[in-house]
Parts: sequence; structure tokens; C-alpha cells
Amino acid sequence: MKKKLFFATVLLVTVFNVQAQDEVRFNGYVRNYTGVLMADFNQFSIVQNTLNLNIEKKTDRIGFKVNPYVYHYADRELEIGLREAFLDLYFDNLDIRVGKQQIIWGKAEGVFITDIISPKDLREFLLPDFEEIRTGVTSFKVNYYKGVHTIEGVWVPVFTPTLMPEAGSIWQPDMIFPIEPTWDYSTSVKDLTLQNSEAFLRYSMMSSAFDLELVGGTFFYDDPAMHLTRQMNPATMQLQNLTVRPDYHRVSMGGGSFSIPLGDLVIRAEGAYYAGRNFQTTSSTAPDATIEKDYLHYMAGIDYTLGGVKLSAQFIQENILNYETGIYNNEIESTMTFLAKKDFLRERLWVELFAYVGLNNSDALIRPKVSYAFADGFDIQTGANLFTGDKGRFGQYNDNDMLYMKLKYSF
Amino acid sequence: MKTKKMLLLLTVFFSLYSIQQVKSQQTGLQIMQKVYDLPTPKDMQAELTMTLTNKQGEKRVRKLSQFISNDGNMEKKIMFFISPADVKGTSFMNWSYNTEKDDDQWIYLPALKRTKRISSGSKGDYFMGSDFTYDDLGDRHPNEDNHKLLREEILKGKACYVVESTPKASGHMYAKTITWVLKDKSIGLKRDFYDANGKLLKTLEMKKYENINGYLTVLETEMKNVQRNHATVISLANVKVNQGIAGSKFTERSMTMGR
Repeated sequence: MKKKLFFATVLLVTVFNVQAQDEVRFNGYVRNYTGVLMADFNQFSIVQNTLNLNIEKKTDRIGFKVNPYVYHYADRELEIGLREAFLDLYFDNLDIRVGKQQIIWGKAEGVFITDIISPKDLREFLLPDFEEIRTGVTSFKVNYYKGVHTIEGVWVPVFTPTLMPEAGSIWQPDMIFPIEPTWDYSTSVKDLTLQNSEAFLRYSMMSSAFDLELVGGTFFYDDPAMHLTRQMNPATMQLQNLTVRPDYHRVSMGGGSFSIPLGDLVIRAEGAYYAGRNFQTTSSTAPDATIEKDYLHYMAGIDYTLGGVKLSAQFIQENILNYETGIYNNEIESTMTFLAKKDFLRERLWVELFAYVGLNNSDALIRPKVSYAFADGFDIQTGANLFTGDKGRFGQYNDNDMLYMKLKYSF
Repeated sequence: MKTKKMLLLLTVFFSLYSIQQVKSQQTGLQIMQKVYDLPTPKDMQAELTMTLTNKQGEKRVRKLSQFISNDGNMEKKIMFFISPADVKGTSFMNWSYNTEKDDDQWIYLPALKRTKRISSGSKGDYFMGSDFTYDDLGDRHPNEDNHKLLREEILKGKACYVVESTPKASGHMYAKTITWVLKDKSIGLKRDFYDANGKLLKTLEMKKYENINGYLTVLETEMKNVQRNHATVISLANVKVNQGIAGSKFTERSMTMGR
């Protein structure tokens, strides 16, 4: 046993050395993330240890990257996964990337409007870092470059849905069902067929006057529609049994985004039109409680630096077209985001305040945080996630106010 | 009569001599214009190391590679951050113009996997926590300041002009700067920066320069903030000039690829 361990170690060291000589680069981070619920300081909301590793190599013509990660929890099973694992081919005016990859589109921050290729990991709501909130998606991506213009085509053969919180999680969203349902997952996994693949196209340009993106796609909406089957008690005419069948439906989307410098300001905007998105409804004309509607999602934002403080504000609106009474979502849902960020001690200390404010329900998620670079690559971060309101996207988590600390060493 | 004639001749002689002396003496503006007009290569690439030293003597090191291209009307610069590890993969691009137009700036953050246009209105901000502001790192046109030749003196064994430059516009972060310009090469050897209250704030010293392919290139400079007792040394290595950097180097593709 000792011999095996010895040879394994020698092999690992040898492979590592050979790879290092061959310019395979290793970097990543180790992090501890501990949070407690403010309502009950006896209860941890999260105790997580993370190893995130990037292994990559690039030559003039080829490249690869593998990004394995390990989440170790105090109260959950060890989670090991691949955030990305792809191969690159580089040509003069063309790049091809094949494999699991994160693809990020749009100009909005903290909001997903045309950023629809990489599904979200919402198991901890919107709290994880942006790198972690998007999951990789297995896809073929081709970029063609002509001067400042880029055309990007993406084909996703395998549908990957949003990761939702597990049953019992404090991040499970409010359920709209009158009784405890029976779950039917028979349609929640899409078969691996060509017909079930997704396709996206983007044109982008970056110029002195403005930056522009035009996007489109046909794909499965990453959040499930809950199809209900009700069984009534004939004697009492009361609901006796409720079956919920989550299903994912194909939508088409077209949209775009731009950012324009205007003196000291940067103006950003983004919008998308979704055709055929499914919404939950209580309307009697929808026996399975879902209804298909077209939908608009758009944002306007502004960035400004004042006295060394980076300021940003965004106004976001979601608009269900041809709205009908009974639809669970509001016809128009308005949200704002605010960011203020400043560094002190020569970029060793960062103070930041980010907030989502729901205008329909007067609810909010307020996220103050302070980061201190104890040494190069070693960050100590402490902050709070404060929910206000009693309903709505943020207010529903009013009991989940938390304080947290993250220690992170990047290597 | 003879005496009168002699006096007249002497007066004329000394007047002509004085005029000749004034003509041979350059004005502050001319000296600073010569510094500004020093020939610069069409493109340059280098590996840049920035060492920050605080008053306790603790050092922090930042490394990046940079590519600069200048067609006479517009300068394009792209920087790829190499260390420390938490900023590795970040890239920053700046396009600056010979006109009044504000610079265009973008940043690519690998964690966000997105190139973002950023506001360029904060030239007084310090670059990467160093003692250099973005303004210090750029070329300031001599027409933006009033220049006065204070004196000529020997600095580190080299003959220098000492020129005081005062901003024409109000609100600039420095009340004035005083520059020691090498008489024979027209490059700045030292510059003192005075804060808005007129107190000495920072001193910039050129530590090393070389003639690379016919261009005088500064290879090491040190900026000391004398009020905060903090210093930054910037040194360049593997400097290459006029290698013909392709325009595609200054694009979103390049920022995303990190090279």
C-alpha cells in the first residue's frame, strides 16, 4: 500500500513537471465560506469549503481548459464537478470551442436578459459569485472575426436546466400550490436528440462610439413550467390530490444590448423579446395551470465614477404581453439595482454595497461587503445579505438575512 | 567726441550680445515641447513589473504584459495582467486620441467572462494601487500648462534645464510640476509633483533608459509619494519596438483570449 502511494506520488509529480514544462498552467483558489442566519445565530446558513482549479494550455493554434471544482459542506454530501472542460482551435479569423463552457452575453449586471445560454445555479438563490452562478453547458461555439465585428454561433446539443434549491432548502421559492403535491418528473429530462438541441447566434462590435450586441436563439427556457393535474373529491368537491409535472418548453428569443460612453458616464441598455414562454395561471381556461405568452425583458443602466466611488444603477422591467387575469406573475414587474464600490489602502481594502430593489412588492436584497487583501492573492471578505419586504422575489426570503465571512486564497 | 562714439559702439555691441543670448536661451515651453516631440515608435511591447513599497518596507509585486500602437492620431494600448493570482487573466484596453475626445476604455474580468466598457473620467485614480495615476502614465500635451524655465543645474552629474509647469485649467490634481530635463537628450530625468495646496506630493525619477532601435526608452522609473512614504518602481523588460503589432491585438478577441 505504501509502495502504491509512493509510486502514485512519483507519477503525479512527474506528470505535473512534464506538464509544467509543456506550459500547462495551473491556477485557482481555495476558499472557506461560512454564513450564519441573523434570525438565529445558532444556525449556520452555509459552511462550505471550496477548491477551484483551472488547468489550461494555449498555443498559437490549439488550447484547452479544464475547471474542476470541489464543494465540501458541513451538512451535505461532497460535490465534485466540472464547471468547464473544453478544447479550442484557433484560425486567423476564426475560433472554435467545443465542450462544456460558460457563455456570457449582454451588458446587464446581476440580471439575465439576453444572457440565456449558460443555465443558472440558483441553489443558493442569487448569492454565489457570478462565476459560480452560471453552470457550464456542453456546446459547439464558433466565432468569426472581421475587424471590430464578431459573429458567434452556438449549438447546444444537450439541454441543461436551471439548478433549483433542493426540497427543505431555505432558498426554495414560495410554492403556489394549495396542498402538498405529488411530483411527476417524467417530462423534466429532455431526450438526447437532435430535435431537442438549441441554437444561438450573436453579432457584436466594439468601437470608439459604442459597443453593440444583437442576439437570437431557439432553446428550452431554463426554468420549468409546472403543469398541474387536479383530482377532486366527488363527495366534498374539495381538492383531493394534486400532481405537478415540471416541463421545459422551447422558446424563441431575439434581442440586443449596447453601451455608449457619454463624457464621464457609460450608458447601458439591453432588451429581449421571448416568443412562447409558459407562465403559471389560475385561469379556468388553462386546465393544467400554464399559459403561453410572449414576453419582454429589458434594462437601462448607467455607470459613473464620483470621487473614486464607482456607482452604477439599472432599471429592469419584465412585461407579459396580452396579459390575462389569473397569471401568477405580474403583468409588469419592475426591479432596480444599485452598486457603490470604492477601494482604500491602495486597492487592499474594498467596500461595496449592491442592492436589488423590487418595485412591485417593495422588497429588496441589500448586500454590503468589505474585502481586505491580507496578502497578494489572499482575501478576507465579510458581508451581509439582507432581505426586506414580506413577499416578492426577495421578500419571500425575509427570514434568511445572513452574515458571512469568506477567506480565499488564489494561486 | 571720441569718447561719445566709443560709448555708443559699446552700447550697440552689448545690446546685440544680449539679444543673441536671449535667442539662444530656450523658453520653458520650447523645452517641454521638445520632450513631447521626442520620436516614439509606431508600436511597442514589453513585460512590465510594478513593485509597490509601503512605509513599513513591505513589497507587493504586479506583473503584466503590454502592447502599444500609435498611428499619430490615436494610441491603442492593451495590458494583460499576469500576477498576482487573483487578477491573472484580467485585461485592460485603452484608446486615446490626439483630439479633445475622452479615452475609450474596456476591461475584461475572467470571472465575469465579459468585456465591459468603463468610464474614462477618472484619470486622477491610482493605477493598480500604485503611486502613478492614469494621468501620470499618459502624455500631457505642453499646451495644457504654462511653462517657465527656472534655472539650469547639474543633477546626478548631468546638465539639466529645470522647468516649472502650471496647469492652465483649474481643478487639476497638481498645482504645479517641476521637471529636470536633460539638456542633450530632451528627456525628463526627474519631476516633482505639488498637490493642490502647493506642497510637494510625489517625486518621479528616471532610473534607467536605453536607446532601443533608435528610440530613447525609459526602462525603469520610481515614483515616491513623500507625504505617504510609499513608492512604486515600474520596470520594463523584453522591450520590442516597431515589430508591427497587428490591429487585431486591440480587439475584444484579444482581451478575451488574454494575449
